[in-house]
Amino acid sequence: MARREEGGLDRDLADLPPDLRWREWLRRIEAVLFASASPVARADLSRVVGQGASVDLLIEDLAVDLEGRPYEVAQVGTGWMLRTRAAYAPAIRAAADVGAQALSLSEFDLAVLATIAFHQPISRDGLKDIFGKEISRDLIGRLAERGLIGTGPREPRRGAPYTFVTTEAFLAAFGMESLRDLPDPEQLADAGLAGSSEAPDV
Amino acid sequence: MRNPRARTTELLSMLPPLPGWISAGHAETIESAAFRAGAALAHLTLISREETLPLALWRDRLALVAAEACVELAGRREGAGALRDALHLTKAGDDPGPAGRIYRQWSRAVARPMSVSNLGRALEGVVPERIALCLDATGPTPVDRAAQVIETVLTDSPRDETVALILADAVLARSLGWTDVLPLLSLTLKARDLRLRGHGLRMACHRAVLAGVGQALPMAGDLARAAARLRAAAPQLRAKGAVRALDLFLSRDALAPVALAREMPDSLSDRAARRLCDRLVELGALRELTGRDTFRLYGV
Repeated sequence: MARREEGGLDRDLADLPPDLRWREWLRRIEAVLFASASPVARADLSRVVGQGASVDLLIEDLAVDLEGRPYEVAQVGTGWMLRTRAAYAPAIRAAADVGAQALSLSEFDLAVLATIAFHQPISRDGLKDIFGKEISRDLIGRLAERGLIGTGPREPRRGAPYTFVTTEAFLAAFGMESLRDLPDPEQLADAGLAGSSEAPDV
Repeated sequence: MRNPRARTTELLSMLPPLPGWISAGHAETIESAAFRAGAALAHLTLISREETLPLALWRDRLALVAAEACVELAGRREGAGALRDALHLTKAGDDPGPAGRIYRQWSRAVARPMSVSNLGRALEGVVPERIALCLDATGPTPVDRAAQVIETVLTDSPRDETVALILADAVLARSLGWTDVLPLLSLTLKARDLRLRGHGLRMACHRAVLAGVGQALPMAGDLARAAARLRAAAPQLRAKGAVRALDLFLSRDALAPVALAREMPDSLSDRAARRLCDRLVELGALRELTGRDTFRLYGV
C-alpha cells in the first residue's frame, strides 16, 4: 500500500448513517482482501472497521454481494481471501500462463509436500525413511520459499533436527480450509493409493 | 514440624473420595444425570480447596489429557508424549504443528486466570466478542450453559471442537465461581456426543462432567501426594533457588532443564538446572517423563 495514514483511518465512521457505514466497511474489507495475495486474518480485518462491527457478518454480506461474480470470498485457516471460482479455471488457463507464476513445483516436490502435510511435524530424516532417499535441502528450501511449509518443533535426538509443518498459504494454494480436508489416509490406502501409513512414532 | 512428610500423608488419607451413589450405575434420565453431575461438582469444589493440592499443576495436567482427547477428535493419533514434545521443543516463533497447536491452546487456556483477553490469547483466531458471548451463555445449570456453548460454536464451525470444548469448560468453571478453567467436560466427550444437539447434548454433557470428575479426583489425590514428596525433598537440596524451582514443578506438567534455568536466570545455570532435576529424581521426588537420555522433560 502506497500511503499509510498513521492512525488516520476513521474506523467508526460516526458521521455516516448506519447503512452507508456498513457499505463502506464492506468495501474496505473487499479492498483489503483484493490487495492481499495471502489470507487475511480476522484481527487484521477488524482493524479497518468499527470497534463493535462483526467481521463475520461483514464477510457473510460480502459473500452475498459477490454472488454472480467470477470470484468469491474463501475462508482459509483462520483468515479469508478472494479467489476465482473453480468454474473459471479453464478460461484462466487458456488465457494466461498461470502455471509459470503459480507454484512451479515438480511432481516430486509435490509428493514431498503432500508427505509433509500428512506426516507433519516431520524432519528430513523422517522424509528419508518414507522416500528411501535423501530429500535435499534445496527441495525443502523451494517449499519454504513459496511459504508452503514452516519450521515446527525440533526432533528430540542428536543434532535436534527441525521438523517441517504446512502453513496457511499451503491450505490456500490447495483450496483447503483446514488440514482435515486432506483425504483420509485410510481411504487412500483402501483405494490402493497409499501403503499402510502409520503415524511416525515419536 | 518434626516430620512434615508423615503429617501431610496423614492428612491426605482424609481426602474424601466421591461418594459411591454419585457414580454408581447409569443415569437413565436427564434429571438423574444432572443431579449426579451437580453432586460431583460440589464434591470437586470442596476438594479443590484442599491446601495440599497443587492447583496449577492439576489444571495443567488435565489440560494435557483434554488436549489428547481433542487431538483424537481432530482425527489425529498423537499421544501425550508427542504433545509434550511438540510444546516443549518448539522454539518461539515456530509452529508446533497441528496437534501441538491444540495442546498449546489448552495449555494457555489454563495457565492464566479466566478472562476474555486471556482466552483470546489462548484461542488464536477467535474474536473477543465471541468469547465474551460464550462466557455469558445462559441455562438452568452450569452444565446446561456449557452444552449451550458447544452447540453454538459447533453449529457455526463444526470442526472447531477444541475451541468449543475450551469455551465450554470455561463457562462451566465460571458458573461455578472458579477463577480458572479446569478441563472436565472435555476429558471424555466423544465425536458422536458432539454431533448431538439440544436435549441429547445436555445429557451427554452431564454424563461427561460426572466422568470428568471421576478422572480429575484420583489425579488430584496422586498430585497431592507427589507434591508432598517434592516439598519433603526441599531440605535436602543445596542448589540456589531450589525452592522457586520446586514451585515451578508444582505448577507445570513438565519442564525441560533449560526452560527451568530460563525461568530463574539469576540463580540457576543450565547445568545447575540439569543437576537439580537429576537430584530430585534420585530423591524420588520428581520423574523424568520421556525415557530419553537427551531432550529430557521432568515433572512430578
